[in-house]
Amino acid sequence: MNTAASSWEPSVKIPEFETRDLKRKSIAVAVAGNPNSGKSTLINGIAGTRLHVGNWPGVTVEKKEAVFEYRGRRIRLVDLPGTYSLSPYTQEEIISRDYLVREKPDVIVNVVDATNLERNLYLTVQLMELGIPVVMALNIFDEAEKKGYRIDTKAIEDMLGIAVVPTVATRKIGLDDLLKRAISFAEESPLRLPKHLIYGADAEAASRQIEDHLRKDHPSVAAAYPLRWLALKMMEGDSRVMEETGLDEGGLLGETLNHLRAAHEEDIESLMADARYAQASGLTREVMIRPAIRKMEITEKIDRIVLNRFLGIPIFLAAMWLVFKFTFDVSTPFADWIDAMTTGPFRRWAVAAMGFIHAPAWTASLVTDGIIAGVGFVLVFVPVIFAMMFFITFLEGSGYMARAAFVMDRAMHAIGLHGKSFIPMLLGFGCNVPAVYATRVLENPRDKALTSLLIPLMSCGARLPVYVVFIGAFFAAHAGTVLWSLYVMGIALAVLMGIMFKRTLFKGESPMFIMELPPYRMPSFRSLMIHTWEKGKHFLIKAGTYILAVSVLVWFLLNLPWGVQNKKDSYLGKAGQVIAPVLEPLGFGNWEAASSLVSGLIAKEIVVGTMGEIYAHKAKEDKKEQPSPTDDFREIGTSFLAASKKSVSNIFSTFGISSLSAQQDDESAGLKPVLRKTFTPLSAYAFIVFVLLYMPCVIVAIAMRQEFGTWKWFGIAFTYQMALAWSVAFVIYQGGKLIGIGG
Amino acid sequence: MMPLGLLGTGEKAEVMEIRERNRGVKPAAACCGPDGNGWSCRMENMGLRTGKVVEMLNNEGAGAMLIKVDESRIAIGRGMAMKIMVRRQG
Repeated sequence: MNTAASSWEPSVKIPEFETRDLKRKSIAVAVAGNPNSGKSTLINGIAGTRLHVGNWPGVTVEKKEAVFEYRGRRIRLVDLPGTYSLSPYTQEEIISRDYLVREKPDVIVNVVDATNLERNLYLTVQLMELGIPVVMALNIFDEAEKKGYRIDTKAIEDMLGIAVVPTVATRKIGLDDLLKRAISFAEESPLRLPKHLIYGADAEAASRQIEDHLRKDHPSVAAAYPLRWLALKMMEGDSRVMEETGLDEGGLLGETLNHLRAAHEEDIESLMADARYAQASGLTREVMIRPAIRKMEITEKIDRIVLNRFLGIPIFLAAMWLVFKFTFDVSTPFADWIDAMTTGPFRRWAVAAMGFIHAPAWTASLVTDGIIAGVGFVLVFVPVIFAMMFFITFLEGSGYMARAAFVMDRAMHAIGLHGKSFIPMLLGFGCNVPAVYATRVLENPRDKALTSLLIPLMSCGARLPVYVVFIGAFFAAHAGTVLWSLYVMGIALAVLMGIMFKRTLFKGESPMFIMELPPYRMPSFRSLMIHTWEKGKHFLIKAGTYILAVSVLVWFLLNLPWGVQNKKDSYLGKAGQVIAPVLEPLGFGNWEAASSLVSGLIAKEIVVGTMGEIYAHKAKEDKKEQPSPTDDFREIGTSFLAASKKSVSNIFSTFGISSLSAQQDDESAGLKPVLRKTFTPLSAYAFIVFVLLYMPCVIVAIAMRQEFGTWKWFGIAFTYQMALAWSVAFVIYQGGKLIGIGG
Repeated sequence: MMPLGLLGTGEKAEVMEIRERNRGVKPAAACCGPDGNGWSCRMENMGLRTGKVVEMLNNEGAGAMLIKVDESRIAIGRGMAMKIMVRRQG
């Protein structure tokens, strides 16, 4: 590493008075780079907790930003989406390009994967056209060295007129140097602009002509854009640039372009792409020496096994089984703990507080039965969601997730999708909401829409409590088989609907599939935690605030009109009575079932909660003694410790999500005899199938609206799922009666 | 010349031609639009372009295949792979 910037000396000394002046100015640093170049890790390493994650305006692409002080300067770091180029066709490319052209950051930090120099330099070459100083973070430098690559960083600096700093973001090596050089390049800006790369005599001549023409005849346009970049884009026939600038191909401009096109058979765009690529590959040859004999890399060895025709799918299924097992093992004790807290101490405190302020009975009931019970219900799911996101993040970070998409590609073709759609559908088994957000990995709107339509058929965790209660009451002897049949039915119907949609709504060619499989890497714990939090907080904030509002609403619907004695006469009860006849042919045409299904639109687990509220005549809490607040605190602490211990021991113990079913058993003990009176085994099965299939919950609806910017796809999902749920339940109930089961 | 999709696991070949459906129709929009038209430029951005030597890492005869270009492993659908013409190297 003789060329590494181990000791850094500024080549241009800044006079003292000038630095003092500069101290007040903030420096905008844009970070750009290929996917899998370690850009995320590098940003996390530099900004850490100061990182703010939001969205780019108008789109759901994540935007990371950080503002911090460094050596007396105020630095504003903006992370651009990972892209392979700046051609303005994918959302990420447009975002990156618009930011760089319009906001004109003071310096671009270009994160480059040193083990894959040529491909990464293609983007570097494009960044250099923008008239902004470029500092290259030559990342993953340690691996490149291990592979025996020798990269002459000084040569890159001289040839491109940019700064090059070797970095190892995972171990935070070189990040300080990187920032220092970025600051000095930003502050010495006009002296530090990248060199103009020569794209061939014809292209250069044309570019000069266009630049002159713009400077003379359109000075306002010339001033607003980096001039050379603008000229190159016009040569490429970039329609976006033409639109933005309002220029057309008349006059001198058209003449120049036509001349160039005539000389190159119309296709200047590929001419430019070829020229840029020639720069990248020529440069790579100049600055890098690689060993003649290539060793088989560890990644390729693992891929031989993981992607094997016969082993691929079994390995994938085993990996998924482990994820589900670990998710439930780790999270269930904490879920139980939260459940115990919200139904125990918090509830008691709320009751005490209500008593203390002499609140009327209805307010007390709203707070305890409505808000605390409702929000508590959601909080119980928080550990599950976070645990699942943690393991999913691990699979993503390690590089396995991309392999899963590869392995499942063939199977997915049957339903008109390709392997990449598999990842969001898989997430759907945990919770449909993050699954819908995950469709953003799909470039193609058709794939996105079709995948989102099928996601609700993946039986999410929220449906499990409903199954557990009914299976416990009617099918205790065959619990496993019945539960399995529901998951399989969801998948089978997804395949069926996929084939149907492929033939109707989504006709057309088979979608394109191209994705990079990153090398296997061990994700750092820190980046795991950051990304888990980013994924999970979505649920925490959105679902949390939403459920709070809805719990209040349900409480009112169950307790209005004012002073209603019988739940049957409440608004929710009346709605149930109206709907009940529709459900009659399915075997559960009673108002209780109908009302709970209505409330289940909000979140499917609420079905059980509402049934409990409807059927429960007297609260059973008053027989317990009231513990003192100190006892409560002790209970919270000790039971949390117990939960942590259980969580750890679960990982090491074999199999079993036993604690989950135990908890549900306990909760629904009072419900079972009542259910047996109103349902038969056959109608109970029809009911849980209906719960599996009928419309996605409201939070999924909101997620779909957010992802697509229209209610259209949710509308389609709602309609087909209602029809599907009704028909399947009808077939099960009437068919079952016909052949004489239950009835 | 043969389509990339017919290359066996372990074989190497040089990319001769990428057959784009829409090339020449609309110069700008023909490139990798989000609607999936003109995917050749997306491949080019990932480094898979004319003149490159690729190595087939995994081709099971159905489903996606895995190729190596420079230092990247790229998974590519069969349909696309059949539109890339290559010359096998000994």
